[in-house]
Amino acid sequence: MDISSWDGTISLAEFHVAARALVEKWKRVSSASPPWSWVSCPKQPWVASHEVSVEGYLSLENIILVSIKEEHDELLSFPQKEETSCSDKEESIDIATLVQSQSDRDEICYYDLHIVYSASYRVPVLYFRVYYSDGEPLEFEDIKKHLPAHSAKTLLDSKWTFITQEEHPYLKRPWYKLHPCGTGEWMKLLFQGDVSLARNGAAIEVYLISWLSFVGQVVGLRIPYEMLNQL
Amino acid sequence: MATVEIQSPSSVRKVVVHLRATGDAPILKQVKFKIPGSDKFAKVIDFLRRQLHRETLFVYVNSAFSPNPDELVIDLYNNFGFDGKLVVNYACSMAWG
Repeated sequence: MDISSWDGTISLAEFHVAARALVEKWKRVSSASPPWSWVSCPKQPWVASHEVSVEGYLSLENIILVSIKEEHDELLSFPQKEETSCSDKEESIDIATLVQSQSDRDEICYYDLHIVYSASYRVPVLYFRVYYSDGEPLEFEDIKKHLPAHSAKTLLDSKWTFITQEEHPYLKRPWYKLHPCGTGEWMKLLFQGDVSLARNGAAIEVYLISWLSFVGQVVGLRIPYEMLNQL
Repeated sequence: MATVEIQSPSSVRKVVVHLRATGDAPILKQVKFKIPGSDKFAKVIDFLRRQLHRETLFVYVNSAFSPNPDELVIDLYNNFGFDGKLVVNYACSMAWG
């Protein structure tokens, strides 16, 4: 791949190569954390099938992402009531009540992250949803409270061009989506300065890992250093 | 009180950060800075924002990835620094939208 004329986007076939590379590297480097996996979706009959590859998306589900807030240090030294202790978690589940008020509910929430290829932008797109341990999805107002501070700020600045709720292309349900309009441009920037990449053309294998290092920040997903080290 | 120990002055190492403009981003008058390794990467981003008067910046390292703002500068240096410095690229691009 010629970096100088590259526009930062990838084809569907390249997405598959990059997806496989991400899955394998993630498994190798962070065997302790839940793995990314490829979810194959049967081809929709009304879509022309000139692509050889199988349709699908990358998935990382049921993960807990703790956004680091200002009081983080304090939490480490003095465990506080709501956040950390297990006994409180039990107390908050009150079988006598059907509806729990937001304030006494267990604050831990779970993320499902999906990486879907966008044929129109020719880049990966992050879809996500967030739910409580009882499976109830968080409203967007509550998701905002769980997002890292810098994401919440971006959200204020660019309300309609950052995160919006849209239909998941495969699951056909409303998921939250990060807007892909700028992706090609910053991916191009990211790879531009690297002479060795230009020479070896290895950018496709690392494309998704580099992409995820930036996109993951929005929801507070940390990429292990070991994955980035070998880029 | 483990956090207090980690942040004790004896263990604070200074890291040389080299800020390199890419794309159409303006070049700073001073491009190398020494900052405490115990600072978060967010400090570097904030500094760039103030210097460039831009709210949206794309900041990355080693032409490979964009560090999480919560990462410590010393950790980034230890993993990705070379020639005694951490090279940080920045561009004035809209990440979203």
